[in-house]
Amino acid sequence: MGLTITLTVNGNTHTAELEPSTALVDFLRDTLGYKGVKLCCNTGECGACTIIMDGKPVNSCVVLGADAAGTDVVTVEGIADGDELHPVQQAFIDTGAVQCGYCTPGFIVSLKALLDRTKSPTAEEVEEAISGNICRCTGYTKIFDAVELAAKQMS
Amino acid sequence: MAKAEYTVLGTDMPRMGGVERVVGKGIYGIDLNLPDALAGGVLRSEYAHAKIVGIDTSEAKAIPGVRTVVTAADAPDVRYGRSYIDRYILAKDKVRYMGDPVAAVAADSQALVKEALKKIKVTYEPLPVVVDPEETMLESAPTLHEDMPLPKNLPEGVQVKNVCGYTGVNIGDAEAGMAEADVVVDEVYETKMIHPQYLEPRIAAARPEEDGRITVWANAQAPFPVRTEVAALTGLPLNSVRVISTDIGGGFGGKGSGVTSSAALEPICALLALTAKQPVMIVMDKAEETISTTIRSGCKIWIKSGAKKDGTLVARQGKVVYDAGGYSGFGNQAGGRCTQMVGGWYRLPNIHMDGFTVYTNKQVCGPVRGPGGPQATFAMESHMDSIAAELGMDPIEFRLKNVPEKGDSIVGVPKLRDSSLAETLNLAKEKIGWGKVKLEKNQGIGFATGAWIEGSGPGGGAVVKMNEDGSATVHIGKVDYGTAARFGIPMIVAEVLGIPTDDVTVLNVDTDASPWDAGTVGSRSMLVSGNAVKLAAEDARDQILRMAAGQLEASPEDLEIVDRQIQVKGAPSRSVSLASVCNAGHNEIGDVIGRGYFDSKASQAHERETGSSQPFTTHAAMVEVDTDTGNVKVLKYVAVHDVGFVVHPKAVEGQIEGAAAMSLGQALCEQVVHDSDGRTLNPTFVDYLMPTINMLPRIEAITVSGYPGAGPYGTKGAGEIGSVPPMACIANAIYNATGVRVRRLPLSPENVLRALREAGK
Repeated sequence: MGLTITLTVNGNTHTAELEPSTALVDFLRDTLGYKGVKLCCNTGECGACTIIMDGKPVNSCVVLGADAAGTDVVTVEGIADGDELHPVQQAFIDTGAVQCGYCTPGFIVSLKALLDRTKSPTAEEVEEAISGNICRCTGYTKIFDAVELAAKQMS
Repeated sequence: MAKAEYTVLGTDMPRMGGVERVVGKGIYGIDLNLPDALAGGVLRSEYAHAKIVGIDTSEAKAIPGVRTVVTAADAPDVRYGRSYIDRYILAKDKVRYMGDPVAAVAADSQALVKEALKKIKVTYEPLPVVVDPEETMLESAPTLHEDMPLPKNLPEGVQVKNVCGYTGVNIGDAEAGMAEADVVVDEVYETKMIHPQYLEPRIAAARPEEDGRITVWANAQAPFPVRTEVAALTGLPLNSVRVISTDIGGGFGGKGSGVTSSAALEPICALLALTAKQPVMIVMDKAEETISTTIRSGCKIWIKSGAKKDGTLVARQGKVVYDAGGYSGFGNQAGGRCTQMVGGWYRLPNIHMDGFTVYTNKQVCGPVRGPGGPQATFAMESHMDSIAAELGMDPIEFRLKNVPEKGDSIVGVPKLRDSSLAETLNLAKEKIGWGKVKLEKNQGIGFATGAWIEGSGPGGGAVVKMNEDGSATVHIGKVDYGTAARFGIPMIVAEVLGIPTDDVTVLNVDTDASPWDAGTVGSRSMLVSGNAVKLAAEDARDQILRMAAGQLEASPEDLEIVDRQIQVKGAPSRSVSLASVCNAGHNEIGDVIGRGYFDSKASQAHERETGSSQPFTTHAAMVEVDTDTGNVKVLKYVAVHDVGFVVHPKAVEGQIEGAAAMSLGQALCEQVVHDSDGRTLNPTFVDYLMPTINMLPRIEAITVSGYPGAGPYGTKGAGEIGSVPPMACIANAIYNATGVRVRRLPLSPENVLRALREAGK
C-alpha cells in the first residue's frame, strides 16, 4: 500500500489506504463500499460512474483515487434524504425511466449536480448535463420525461 | 379486451426493484461480494487465425499468489456449440479470432492476474486470415474448421467453403414470377457488425462447495443453458452445478445464448475455481468484451423484386451472406431469420432466397436484439422504397397495395388470423404528417415496416407459492433486466389473486429452485412466463377458494378475491381474509403452491389451426441532411406497434423506444471496425460511437389494439420488434430528402457524403 488519504463521502469522513494507481471508481466501490458508483467503460465515456466532487460532476473512472484526498464527494447513495427519495430519483421511477437501471445512478448524480447549480435549467442545459451519460435501454425518451417531471416538482 | 375489465393490468405499476436502482444498492453481478474470492482473468488470442504450437504456463504458475493457470488441457475433451459443436472451453490446437480465449488465471489480486497473463508463453504459427464473408466462401480461402462438414441442406451443385448454415426460402416459382413483372428492381445492401454494449460488464463467479457441488453466479440471460454448458465443459454431473442469476445491467441478447455469448466465461471461471479449490470471480473489461463476446453480425444482401405496373408484387429473388465469425455461435439461427425476413412480410406469391452463414476470423455472432431482423429489414424495406420510386408510387400506397390480410400466408407463417400492418402504416403516415408537414430543403420523411414472427421455441413453467400473510412468492425461469419479469409478470399474479402488486415477489433465477427455461430471449418473457404464471396463479387461487368455500358456506365458483379478501360474489359482507385462509391452509395442505406451464408445442398447434396474429409495426422518421458534411439529424421519430394486449404501458413503450434507439445507433453511427488482420480497431467506448441524449429526438411510441396474440390476455412479444425498422426508416428519409439511396450502413456523415458525391450532389 502506498498512500493514506482522507476524504468526505456523502458527509462521512473516511481515511483509507490505496495504491497510487487506483482509480477513484475502484477506491469508492472496493475499498469504501459505495457500490452505487457503477463501473463500465473505464474511459470516461459512459457516465455510469459519475460522482459529484467538490460540487462538480466527474467520471470517477478517469480520476485517480489519490486526487480525491481532501475532497467532498457525493455518490448516488448520498442523494436521498433518509428514506425520502430526491425528486429526480422519484421521477425516474414514476416515468418508467428505469429499465435495467445500471446507468440510472450516473444520470441521477449528473442531474443532481445540474439542479444544485441552477434551479430551473433550460432544455439545452439538461441535454448538456446528461449528454455524457449513456443509456442503452430507454432510448432516452423516458429520461426526458423524468427530468421534466422532477423539474416541475422542484419548482 | 378493454383495460376497464382489470384492476391491475393496463396500469403503470412502478418497476419492481426501482427504489434499489435509484439509490444505488449493490444488486448487480458486478457488485457481488464473494468472501475469499480470487481474481480471475483470461488470456486472449493475439492472432485472428493461427495454430497453437505450444503453451508454457510455468513462469506464470511460479509467481507467488498465482493460484491456478488453466488451458484446454485441464478441461475434458468436449466441445460446445448450437448448430455446430465447434468450440472448446479454451482454444485447443487453433485460434480463430483475435480475442479467442486461450488460457486463464486465478490469483490473489487483479494485478497478479495481469502479471501472470503476460507470463504465459503461447507459441503460435500464424495462418492466413479471412475477414470478408464473401471471400471466405471461395475455394482459395483458408479453411477455418477442418472437421466441420458443410450443411446437409445445401442445394445440390453449390460450390462453397466455410459455410456453417444454409437457409432456403422457396415459395411459388420466382423465375416465372419475375418474367411476368412490369418492373424489376435489383439491389445490393451491406450492414456492419455492431456490439450490443450493455453497460454492466460481464461477470462470472464460482465457488466449489464442501459437498463437491459448485455454485456459479452469472449476469446471464439464460441461466439454465449456462448450467448445461458449465457441467459439460468441466465434466461435473449436471446436478452438481447450481447457477444463480444476479440482477443484470442490460443484455439485449448479448448476455443471452448460453455460454456462447460470453465466450465461455462461466465454464472458465468454474474450471479456475475447481482447480484452485477456492472461489473465483472474473469481471470483464469493456474493451475485452467488444473484441471477444458475441455481436450482431454484418451481412451482405442481394435483393431483386418484380412488380406489376399497379404496384402488385409478383416475385422476389435474393441471397444473404451472413457472418458467423470464428465459430458458428448463433449464426445459423440469426442468418436463417435474416434470410426469411428479406423474403418479407408482404403478400408475395413467388420467393426464392438463399442464405449462407459463413465462418470468418472475427467475433462470433450472438442473438442480439431481433437477431438478423434489422439487417434484413434495412435491405428489404429500403428496397420497397426503391420499387415504389421505380413505379412512381407513393411509398405508403405501394406498401398498402401489398399488405397481407386475414387468411394470407407470409414467410414463416402458414396462415394469419388477422393483420395489423395496414393500420400501423396508416397511423404512422398520419402521426408523422406525411403530405401535410412542410419540409424545408434537405428535409425528408421515411417509413419502414417491420415484423417479428413468433414461431417455435421452448415452453416454460411457473410456481406461485402463497405465504400465510396472503402474499405470493413467484418462481419463473426468466430473468429481469428491464423485461417483463418485474414489470408485467407480477401484475398478472396480482390481478388473478386479487392482491396488490406490493404483495408479489418475483425471485431471481436459481437453477436449484426455479423452473427450467431456455433464457430471457426472443421476446418470449410474456409468452412463456406470462402464460405460465397466469395458470399458476389461477391454480393457487382455485386451491384457496376451495379451502374458503367451507368457511363461507358457498361453492368455490361463487367466490372471488378482491383486495386481499375472499368474498361471495354479490354479497361482499360474507368474506374472510386471504391471509387467514392461507394460514389455516397450513393444517390442511401445508401451503398453497400453484403450478402452471406454457405448453409451446400445443400453443403452436393451436396457432396453426386458427391462424396466428403476428406483431407488425411501422416506423416513420423526419430527418434533415447536411449536404456539406453528410450529417443526418433525426428531427422526429414515430413508432407505431401492434404488440397485442398491453399489460404495462410504460414498460412496453420503454421496450419500443429503447429498441428503436439501439437500431438508430446502428443506422447512424455504430459499427465494430476491423483491419485485414482481424484486429478490432475500436474496442473502447472512445471509438465505438453510441447514441447519447443529444443525438436522438424523443421517440413517440404508439400501440394499436384489437389484434390479440398468443400471450396471456392476448399479449405479443415487444422486446425486439422495435429494433427491426429504424435503419431502413432513416435510409428512406434520407432518400426522400436528397434523392440519394445509401445502401451501406452506417448512415454516417462519411458514407452519406460519399453517396451524395457519387450521385453528383
